[in-house]
Amino acid sequence: MGDFKLTTVEEFEAATARLLETGAKVGADAWQIRVKNQTPHCKFGEQGVCCRICAMGPCRITPKAPRGICGCDVHGIVGRNYLKFTAGGAATHSDHGREICHTLYLSAADGNYKVKDEAKLMKLAKEFGVETEGRDLYDVAHEVAEVGLMEYGKPFGFQKFLDRMPASQKDLLVENELAPRAIDREVASSMHMAHMGCSSLPEALVKQSIRCGLGDGWGGSMMGTEFSDVLFGTPKPIDTEANLGVMNADNVNIVVHGHDPSLSEMICEYADDPEMIAYAKEMGAKGITVSGVCCTSNEVAMRRGIPMAGNFLQQENVILTGACEAIVVDVQCIFPALGPLSKCFHTKFITTSPIARMPMSDYIRFSSANAGENAKQIVKTAIENFKNRKPELVHIPDMKQKATVGYSLEAIVKVLDGVTNSQVDVTGTTKPLLECVTSGVLRGAVAMVGCNNPKIRPDLAHIELMKKLIANDIIIVASGCSAQAAAKAGLMDKRAKDLCGAGLKRVCELADIPPVLHMGSCVDISRMMNLVAELAKDSGLKISQLPVVGCAPEWMSEKAVSIGNYVVGTGIDTFLGVDPYVSGSAEVAELLTGGVREWTGAAYTVEKDIDKLVDAMIDRIEEKRAAIGI
Amino acid sequence: MTLFDVVFSGADTVYGLAEGAINAAIEKHGADKAVSFPGTAYCLPCYYAVTGTKVTNLGELKEALGVVKGIETKNVKLNDVFMNGVGTALCAEFIEALKYLDGADPYEGTGCSGHLSDAIIRELGVPLVTGDIPGVAVILGKAPTADEAAALVKSYQAQGILVTLVGDVIDQCVEKNVNMGANVRVIPLGKDVTSVLHVVSVAVRAALIFGNVEPGDAAGLMKYTFERVPAFVNALGALNPVVVACGAGAIALGFPVVTNDVETSKAVNIKVPKSLIVQPDVDKFNATSLEARDIKIKITNIDIPVAFASAFEGEIVRKKQMQVEFDGSRVDCFELVQSKEMTEVEDHKIELIGPDFDTFEKGSKHSIAYIVEVAGKNMQTDFESVFERKFHSYLNCIEGVMHTGQRDMIRVRISDAAYEAGFRAKHIGEVLYAKVKNDYDAVVDRCQVKIITDAEMVGKLRHEIAIPAFDKRDDRLKSLTDESVDVYYSCIMCQAFSPSHVCVVTPERLGLCGAVSWLDAKATNELEPTGPCQVITKERVIDDRIGEYEDVNEAVKKFSNGALEDVSLYSIMEKPMTSCGCFECICGIEPMSNGVIIANREYAGMTPLGMTFPELASMTGGGVQTPGFMGHGKHFIASKKFMKAEGGIERIVWMPKDLKEQVAERLNATAKELYGIDNFTDMVGDETIAEDPETLLNFLTEKGHPALNLEPMM
Repeated sequence: MGDFKLTTVEEFEAATARLLETGAKVGADAWQIRVKNQTPHCKFGEQGVCCRICAMGPCRITPKAPRGICGCDVHGIVGRNYLKFTAGGAATHSDHGREICHTLYLSAADGNYKVKDEAKLMKLAKEFGVETEGRDLYDVAHEVAEVGLMEYGKPFGFQKFLDRMPASQKDLLVENELAPRAIDREVASSMHMAHMGCSSLPEALVKQSIRCGLGDGWGGSMMGTEFSDVLFGTPKPIDTEANLGVMNADNVNIVVHGHDPSLSEMICEYADDPEMIAYAKEMGAKGITVSGVCCTSNEVAMRRGIPMAGNFLQQENVILTGACEAIVVDVQCIFPALGPLSKCFHTKFITTSPIARMPMSDYIRFSSANAGENAKQIVKTAIENFKNRKPELVHIPDMKQKATVGYSLEAIVKVLDGVTNSQVDVTGTTKPLLECVTSGVLRGAVAMVGCNNPKIRPDLAHIELMKKLIANDIIIVASGCSAQAAAKAGLMDKRAKDLCGAGLKRVCELADIPPVLHMGSCVDISRMMNLVAELAKDSGLKISQLPVVGCAPEWMSEKAVSIGNYVVGTGIDTFLGVDPYVSGSAEVAELLTGGVREWTGAAYTVEKDIDKLVDAMIDRIEEKRAAIGI
Repeated sequence: MTLFDVVFSGADTVYGLAEGAINAAIEKHGADKAVSFPGTAYCLPCYYAVTGTKVTNLGELKEALGVVKGIETKNVKLNDVFMNGVGTALCAEFIEALKYLDGADPYEGTGCSGHLSDAIIRELGVPLVTGDIPGVAVILGKAPTADEAAALVKSYQAQGILVTLVGDVIDQCVEKNVNMGANVRVIPLGKDVTSVLHVVSVAVRAALIFGNVEPGDAAGLMKYTFERVPAFVNALGALNPVVVACGAGAIALGFPVVTNDVETSKAVNIKVPKSLIVQPDVDKFNATSLEARDIKIKITNIDIPVAFASAFEGEIVRKKQMQVEFDGSRVDCFELVQSKEMTEVEDHKIELIGPDFDTFEKGSKHSIAYIVEVAGKNMQTDFESVFERKFHSYLNCIEGVMHTGQRDMIRVRISDAAYEAGFRAKHIGEVLYAKVKNDYDAVVDRCQVKIITDAEMVGKLRHEIAIPAFDKRDDRLKSLTDESVDVYYSCIMCQAFSPSHVCVVTPERLGLCGAVSWLDAKATNELEPTGPCQVITKERVIDDRIGEYEDVNEAVKKFSNGALEDVSLYSIMEKPMTSCGCFECICGIEPMSNGVIIANREYAGMTPLGMTFPELASMTGGGVQTPGFMGHGKHFIASKKFMKAEGGIERIVWMPKDLKEQVAERLNATAKELYGIDNFTDMVGDETIAEDPETLLNFLTEKGHPALNLEPMM
């Protein structure tokens, strides 16, 4: 194993504590402080029993007041809240996807945005029934984008990508009226159903939650992923580094944060520009370091090897280093706290999207049409801010790990091709992975996703679950902030193979992969859906029969609930470490953890005890193996 | 039933067999009865490597069985499968070891080898690292037909792959008259499936000998074999649980298994990428296996009517199978490389001057000369002898051709089978042309070959061209001393096997394997500037006496990846050079006589140190410095720099007789020059004189050996 060692959560926390000392010196606020102020949380809210969808209330359900003014019972209220929560997440992911469609629509041979993966565009064109023969590449791109955009509002039919599912799952969804129609329609219908005086039947509300989620996963998110690949390239394995130590005290540090790669890609492009580097040197820096936070970081890490400064609950730490010239954000998961915090330092907090406007930020509106100029202006602003740094406040924790990232489905299949034998095997399938699973070399796979949440000691659940799973020969695909937790700990370093059981270790060695595969940002959970769909088709099994489960141990956002719903809707059992505000209703909770299985082949498990959560997953995987006799 | 269940059941079966055999043996012989394999310093090598415990008698063997029981856990993780596989190998080792009780030779007369000695493994070291043996095939079971079995074995043999056979496939090969034996790299191990252990034992000892894996470090052992031993298994015929359990052991060590048992593979999900591969077609086993183990075969397409592969290098052509012989000890013969101007050489021209083999009577002796003329921008005359020395290997690789000797003392035999297949004089030219061009393409741009069978012309050329050329070369070699050159070379060819070993090759100290002289290293560096041989400067002397240089130390540190800090070139006591394990000879101090003894790899007997060659060898190797012991090449024995710091060759007090005879002429010349001693080798003991230190000391005293009067070494 040489000098390889995982970084522990204790070490993360020690580094954070040191940064908070700097924060205290300059009078900065921090989420750690705000959590204390907000604790204890409202019990009605936590249980999901508070209803404020009309102005007769708010109503909250207690044993003494079992119904709201309209007469809705607790199950209807919890169900409606759950549906609205889902709709919020689905809308968010899908709108991100839509933005990418628009960017593709504006792509041009001589424009700011070009088509980088022509093969993927052609594949999508074929899937969408767009003529390619003898046509200009960009004509095809624009028509594909338009067909994609129509998926948001088309009056008839289901989501096109649903055809990627094995028939067994798609048929089940259609049969149970869960197959998603137009993406926007599912969000709008959800809001409609949750309006005062509409649905209060838990079964209907949960079903629509699943369908709305599926519109995200097999609609908006999938489009976000696929079109990003067309524009910026389909990720391939690439080496990078993770944790705050990737920031460089001698350089101008620009941190990108958010979710949409259109902005961050352009920033990276200009930060690499010799003219900009020269300008940085002129301003007294040695160079420019771009690093990332949250999913926009995942996007540029997967495609460019841009290092990852941290995940969701580390966003304030970036500024607390005192060495961040600019934190540039697009959309989603951005703390409004960054505005006031940046004022305690020299850091420029630059917002760019009309979707995410925040007080105490410099707003440089980013548009696809002027992306180049916008990006250049942002990079320049950061460079010019270098001189304002207060050296006495600079402290970058010397903490980072190596990571190999970029395992898109295409990259995974390529890795698998590498372990086939041309004398007996076909290539381009997931069969080698299936053989590892059916023979028992690997016991199964877990998709680790989701955020951080102060309710769970940050990153601990992600890291501890992963460690136990890989030690049990269970391979992990990870995305979002979960993937970043793994990378920060060192679990995406190929040397982490030595922490695996003998089976997974051998697989890692033969395939030359780390045991935790980085599949991308949170919209890229659609990549995982495509992967299981391929596994099911290549094995002839139903998705729900595969020894595969999903897990979001530290989730916090509405998007995460939308994701959970489409993962369950796809037929994959999903394990949560935080309750989705449904504990107030036994009926809704029962539907989510049991009843829904009849409609989708899968269900939720909620378990706040991390040790029990991982054991439950391992048991479920073994149950699934036993059921198909492997 | 799952694959795991099958492995567990097979492991239990073999465990039961071992238990029964051990109990029966104890009942018969008692627990104190000694247990060992012949010719190894590692007791029961597999068990020793895995656990670090040496088993010496039946009682300890019984305890070992208990340990095996402990590792054969039956959970449902691959680790359990690996451990049951390893446990199965260990039980097989126990069963096989019992066959050797009382010094028995259980495989005598069976046509099978059984246990393979440490010496054989050390011999395999060099060809394995150079890729001359690109892989090791373990074929067990029974092919659908004898023809398929023979074809499969021959296909590997033609690629130079070492083939070991277990079970019915041996009879199939006998039936088809497959040429078998260690010298043609096809080794039948035994008919019982447990005899597969003997090749496992080779892989395991390779890790101990070359890899410096600590006995007991099972994980390190498995890592070494997985990364560095290019072996694979071909399981022919129906897979029973015992074979599958053995296969699990192979896979644990990193060796993929290819099976043609489609039926079982359908009943049980056994396919595992790159590890357990189902190939119904035995014809495709070769290609499937090589791909699975990532073995690349260097292809040299030579237009000759017989096979050409390193597997035939050790083949012997006996008198009665001989079509024609060229014998330099009776008639004029020679082989020569000459560098020419570009304009003088027509590429791939092969010219026969004199009669072809057709005109020779069967069994007759004739003159022959072959002159390889090369030209190239980067060619240097120093390389002539480097190429020429390879002719021995090149010609021996031809199926049915045997070559011995060098220069004008060569003997070449062509077998009747090769002749009947159409092998003629020009084919010698084809082989020499193809190999010289292939191996030395960086310096040889054009190459032509003249083959002369006209006896009169051969005699004339021998005296007018060849002998003067050899004399000139000898003069050059004599002038090549450590002092006369500006640079030395590193050689890390063995690092594939022995990751921290570095040889420093100087004109007077060739590589310890005996295969890399300073000129070879220089040529290798020229051919492949970033390859295994790098220039080492010698400008900053630290200590002239022991031959230590700052620049050499820096290079050694760099090339050993920091494992070695400093080495001396001329001392066995202070910072001696390390060994990879492939050394031809090992030299160790003999305290009573104040001298050193040398044992060569071929020597199977006892030395006055109370240790055999394998035991001595096991004390060094793996790239670790062991003062008092040193691996080296045979040629180094007569060097003026041989342990110069401790007084030089006059310290040599004992050598096996064969070795002594081989080096006598040169060694005596050096002794005469350095100390004025005549016939020095007469003073040196051998096994016919003494195998213990007291008898040796008496002999040395009687002869007045100079070592007795030297300063004590320790």
